[in-house]
Amino acid sequence: MFFAAVLKTFCEWCDNSFFGSAVRNSRWLFPFVEIFHLLALGVLGGTILLINLRALGLRFRRDPVSEVARELQPWMVGSLAAMLASGFFLFSSEALRMYFNLAFRLKMAFLVLAILFTFTLYRRVTFSKETRISPLKLKLVALLSIVLWSGVALGGRAIGYTRQVRTETRIMILALPPKCISW
Amino acid sequence: MPVSSFLQWLQDTGFSTALRDSTWAEPVIETIHVLTLTVFLGFTVLLDLRLLGVAMRHKPVSEIFGELNPPIIGAFLMMLTTGVLLFCGDPVAFYGTIFFRVKMIMLILALLNILIFSSTLGRRFSEWEQNPNTPAMAKLAAILSLVLWAAIIAAGRAIAYAVPPP
Repeated sequence: MFFAAVLKTFCEWCDNSFFGSAVRNSRWLFPFVEIFHLLALGVLGGTILLINLRALGLRFRRDPVSEVARELQPWMVGSLAAMLASGFFLFSSEALRMYFNLAFRLKMAFLVLAILFTFTLYRRVTFSKETRISPLKLKLVALLSIVLWSGVALGGRAIGYTRQVRTETRIMILALPPKCISW
Repeated sequence: MPVSSFLQWLQDTGFSTALRDSTWAEPVIETIHVLTLTVFLGFTVLLDLRLLGVAMRHKPVSEIFGELNPPIIGAFLMMLTTGVLLFCGDPVAFYGTIFFRVKMIMLILALLNILIFSSTLGRRFSEWEQNPNTPAMAKLAAILSLVLWAAIIAAGRAIAYAVPPP
C-alpha cells in the first residue's frame, strides 16, 4: 500500500537522521527527553481534564465553559507542542521498531483522532456561549475528549511494556549515583 | 528492628510475593500511578501558575484553590496508594536505589512547602488575592513547588530504570 510505504520510508529516514541517531547513541538523551515528555503529559492532561470537568459541570461551575476553555487554551496548546516535540525525538531513536509496534500504532491512531477532534468540534463547542450549545451535546463532547485522550495515554503506557528497557540507559542510571550507604 | 530486616520481612510476606508474581498487578498499578499525574501534576502546575500570576490571573486565588484542591488531594492519595503498592512489591531493591531515597526526601520538602504556604499566606487569601500580581512569597512557594514536583517525577522515572518491573 502506498500510504504504508510512505510511512515506512519516513521511519527509516528518522532512524538515519542525525537527531535519531543522536538520541539512540546517547546514554542520557533518551531519559532526559523522556522527563519532559512526562512533565508535559501532566500539564496537557491537567488542562484538558479541567476543561472537561467544567463542561461536565463538576468544577468551576460559576464560570462559563468558554471562559475556562479560552483561559486554558494556551497552556493546552503549549504542552501539546512540548509533547509532540519530545515524543518525536523519542520516536526517531527507534522509528522503524515503533512502526511495527502495535501499541504505538494504536497510540498514533488515537492521537490523530484526538487532535482533529480537539481543534475542530471540541474547540467550537467549548468556545461557544453556553446558551447556544445544548448541555447534553456539551457533556457528550467532553466525554468523547476524555475517551480519545485516554486512548492516547494508555497507548503510550503500553509502548513502555512492549519494548525492551534500554540497557545502556539502565546501566547509566545505575552508575550515576554513589553507592547507597545502608542507613 | 533495623530497616533492612524490616524490608526483608516485607519482601517475604505473601502480599509482596503475590504483587511480584502477578503478571497484571505491576502494569495496572504502574499505569494508574503514571496517569494520575495528569490530575495531580496538571492541577498543581495550574495552581502554581496562578500563584506566579501567569495563568487565570483574574480569578481569585482562593476560588482556584477551592476548585482544584479536592481533585489534587484525591489524586495525591491515589498516587500514594499505588506508590506504596509498587514499593511493597519490591521493597529491598527500591530502598537500595538512591533515587528512591532522594524522591522521598523531596516529597517531604514539597509537602513542607505546602504546609508553610497554607499556614502563612494561605490563611489570609483575602488580603492579597484580588491583586493579579501575587506577593513575592507566593511566587517563591510556587517556584519551589514546580521545581520539587518536576524533580520528584524525574527521580520516579529513574527508579523505574534502576528497578525494572518484574
